[in-house]
Amino acid sequence: MHGLYILKKLFGWLAAAVIAAAICNLSCFLFYDPCQELTRTKGSTTGYLLPDSHGVYGLEGYCRASVDSFGYVNRPLERSDEYYVAAGASHTEGLFIPEGLRYTDLLNDMLYDDGKLHIINIGKSGNYYSVVLQHLDGILGEFPDAKGLIIETDSLCYDTKALYDSMAQAGYDPGETAASLMSDLTSRQKLVIKAKQALPLLRLIRKQYFTYMEADEEEGGSDILDPAFWQSEYNGDFETALDDLMKFIRSRTDKQIIILYHPAVAIEADGSMKVLTNNAEPYYEKICRANDIDFVDMTDAFMCAYEEDHVIPYGFCNTAPGQGHVNRAAHKMMADKLYEVIR
Amino acid sequence: MNGSGRRMVTKAALLLVCYAFYAIFDLRGLIILIAVSLFSYASGRFIISSPGIQRKRIAAALFASALVGVLCFFKYVSSSLPVGISFYMLMAISFIIDCMRGEFEELPDVIDVLIFVSFFPTILSGPILKAKDFIPQINERKRLDNARLTRALWLIAIGLFMKLAMADRLSLAVDTVYAAPAAYSGATLFMTSVAYSLQLFFDFAGYSNIAIGAACFLGFDIPANFNLPYMATNPSEFWSRWHISLSSWLRDYVYIPLGGNRKGSVRTYMNIMLVMTVSGLWHGNTVNFLLWGIGHGIGQLIYRIVRGTRKDAPAKAVRILSMILNFLFVNFLWIPFRCPTLSDTWTVIRRIFTFAEGASYFYVYTFIFGFILLAVQFMGAKRHKGNDPLRPLPFDRLYARVIFCMLIIATAMFAYFGNGAFIYSQF
Repeated sequence: MHGLYILKKLFGWLAAAVIAAAICNLSCFLFYDPCQELTRTKGSTTGYLLPDSHGVYGLEGYCRASVDSFGYVNRPLERSDEYYVAAGASHTEGLFIPEGLRYTDLLNDMLYDDGKLHIINIGKSGNYYSVVLQHLDGILGEFPDAKGLIIETDSLCYDTKALYDSMAQAGYDPGETAASLMSDLTSRQKLVIKAKQALPLLRLIRKQYFTYMEADEEEGGSDILDPAFWQSEYNGDFETALDDLMKFIRSRTDKQIIILYHPAVAIEADGSMKVLTNNAEPYYEKICRANDIDFVDMTDAFMCAYEEDHVIPYGFCNTAPGQGHVNRAAHKMMADKLYEVIR
Repeated sequence: MNGSGRRMVTKAALLLVCYAFYAIFDLRGLIILIAVSLFSYASGRFIISSPGIQRKRIAAALFASALVGVLCFFKYVSSSLPVGISFYMLMAISFIIDCMRGEFEELPDVIDVLIFVSFFPTILSGPILKAKDFIPQINERKRLDNARLTRALWLIAIGLFMKLAMADRLSLAVDTVYAAPAAYSGATLFMTSVAYSLQLFFDFAGYSNIAIGAACFLGFDIPANFNLPYMATNPSEFWSRWHISLSSWLRDYVYIPLGGNRKGSVRTYMNIMLVMTVSGLWHGNTVNFLLWGIGHGIGQLIYRIVRGTRKDAPAKAVRILSMILNFLFVNFLWIPFRCPTLSDTWTVIRRIFTFAEGASYFYVYTFIFGFILLAVQFMGAKRHKGNDPLRPLPFDRLYARVIFCMLIIATAMFAYFGNGAFIYSQF
């Protein structure tokens, strides 16, 4: 009798937990239902999103994103034969900015008015500057007819070794496009994807867990901008390495290459805005120019927007100003600047 | 083992848990905690054994002053502040004064006094316990029945949600803006001051709920520390709803001994000012805290003078208007409370009142959590005569279990992992 009572209690709690989880899971579809990510090694990026899917991102900014049939975050427009490719990490992927307001979308609309996709956004979270360069052959292989390539980065903190490492190409395998990889998926893999799509709550809890672990690890702080380290780099072989890298890029293609650099910022106690930089900009400017590569530096535009209109380029109304990803205002500034260069 | 032996073992185990918990946060401070506990026990013993009320009073005054001196040393002179010292010192003083007032028929066991001063659920940030209310409970702990377990679990779950999902999330905006107030517009600074009012409430009330829940689990009853404070219609009512354990401690051990309101208007006003100044100084050693305390004192004086002897209840519209005005007043005083320096306080206030231009930033969670609090307050006003409407729902009903599970899942979903320190643990 007592055992039955306990069993009944347990079942009651289990039922309550299932109902509660189902309600919370449903609510997730409104603010956190990210697109499924799949990995690859020899492509233009380290991974792609589930083709022809949608995602909702509300933890930082708010956006409902569509994924095209190639696994990239682009508006559902017909691809034009005349196009540029924009590569970069999460800032370019722009999963915090509503569709149509990302710098790639704005630039597309500024340059062309035929309703077609001319700026193909292949931004992928985690594909930082050096990762993009390692996938240069992959990008050129997947987009052989591109008029140019935009490489977005928020940091120039790559030392001599990292610059040389960037030249190691991941290679390109035509069998690693999203379409062919999707057709190779087993039924089990498809089932796992479906299950993950149906349970955004689990992905949110998992994300929370990793955020918690990272917050714990980050308590010691970072010395990525340590001036002494960078000064010793600049007094060494840094300039040669950067030149070698730019020559390497140029040797792979004669298309227009644009490096879009938007530095991180910090708001100072006195109310001014400071750019967080390792002071590598002059080196990039000089060496890019020598190798016919456009180096677009957003520093002045960001500073000017802050000083004249109090616009902070990073942060959203559900995060903090100056932190996280570039916001709508910064995307507009980047689009304007790129428009000047491409036009 | 007989009943008394078993009780002794249980109490020793509880004391060990209290010290182990404290040692996690401040191992060196444990020595001070034990010393203060033993000192207050010895003081109580001396006072109880002293003949005559006059001698008891003099002894109590001396011993309490010694503890105040130690507290002042750590707060204003020493570079390191032992964790929770502001809280357990007040508790130790309450034991000494309660001994002097004859609240105990006989001297409590030393272990009871040690448990009282170091009680782990309350040692970091209160609620501040009174010896006369808590010590008798140590030997008459209530059984953990269904009702007690339900209450404890609800309090802990609500407290965790308030702290992790609400207060910590608001701290992101508050910390960012208050780190560089000169960068932001007046409107942004005003909304951030509102965010801080909410953060402080959710942080401290959340901690209090967890502490009260944990104590309830262990068989102790601790009264609520908050009762919808932003529903108060005047500064005096605010202090009967905010940090109730501190307010009632100051009332019982400072205000009433000073004469309270029994010695004429002027003396009453002086007593109020003194108590609020002490409250400000208890919170911290900067001019800002002093200003904050004096500001609350002045607010109460003005309210008492304006109200006069009127006893009639105001109309509903007047009550709502008073509530808004009182919130703005309290919110305004949280600015010096939050700012690290007087100069920052001036910057924030000046920019708010001059509608200064600057970066605009309106944190969406200020509105969401503000709305939730308003809804709870509305419910409290409508159905519970202005008191906190949140009651533990019985777990024998499925809907109650579902809501409880949702609260736990929602805490995991929305918890913010950044600056997670309890605000009041620094005082």
